[in-house]
Amino acid sequence: MTAQDRTAAHQEKIPIVYTIRGCDSCVKLLAKWDAEKFVYDERRVELSQATLDEARQYGKLVPIVVWPDGRVEQGFGDSFGCFI
Amino acid sequence: MATATTRITSARFEQGLTYSDFLAAASVNRDKFEQNYNNPVLTADDRIFFQKASQHPDGPRKMLVIAEAWCGDVYRELPTAVRIAESAGIDLRIFLRDENPDIMEEFLSNNGKSRAIPVFVFYSVDTKYITHFTERSASAHAGLALAMEQARAKLNLPASATFGNLPDPARQEFLLDVISRIELHADRWRRDAVKEIRQLLATALHLPDAA
Repeated sequence: MTAQDRTAAHQEKIPIVYTIRGCDSCVKLLAKWDAEKFVYDERRVELSQATLDEARQYGKLVPIVVWPDGRVEQGFGDSFGCFI
Repeated sequence: MATATTRITSARFEQGLTYSDFLAAASVNRDKFEQNYNNPVLTADDRIFFQKASQHPDGPRKMLVIAEAWCGDVYRELPTAVRIAESAGIDLRIFLRDENPDIMEEFLSNNGKSRAIPVFVFYSVDTKYITHFTERSASAHAGLALAMEQARAKLNLPASATFGNLPDPARQEFLLDVISRIELHADRWRRDAVKEIRQLLATALHLPDAA
């Protein structure tokens, strides 16, 4: 993702979430948000090294949520999440 | 714990990816795999042990690995498995977890609740199950529990605090503190995984092991 893309997502006031679809914590977070009809910009880190490197700027465990105000949250639920 | 395999026949085993095929197909982390392969944790004594084990009549001649390239535990531990296989003449084949749910189903951990990877499954030459290792060493699991305990003490959190019951931002602070503590031990835990694999094989094959 380019800095422009990131800015666009944040201008829309939606969080960016870095995920791996094989990660149970990521799947649980997205299921929760989908049930709540919450809008987000998903970036799947398992699909490209560039997206993975971008995610690593924010944290070490997916899911990683980057909120429009700059707050970063890693992991979800009871488990530790997946190391990237 | 699996004691036998119903899905892995010799023909199915042959369908697995070689390490070079796996790396070629990997979208991410090739650099991490290379880095850990080039920083091996096997000792000369380990290599002799695995060679002796593979020469045992019922010893390991095949190793099935369940993996995904995006997983941190996989890029840390799989290169060690490759080194073991190379040192002992073991045929190593990799099956992607998310494309082979029937194989993963046989090797679930955490009382059947977790699809933790990597899994290294050792088979004899005629594909008889010997033993398997899952995810990371027991010392790594214990180290994570200790790191959580130490982080709770440092952050004045109750003993009942977990990732699941703390509200943010306390949850994030707790998680970051735990990560900073466990990262220090990554290489030691890779070494401990080798010791554990040796012990598993030694027990299964009734071999002496002084690891």
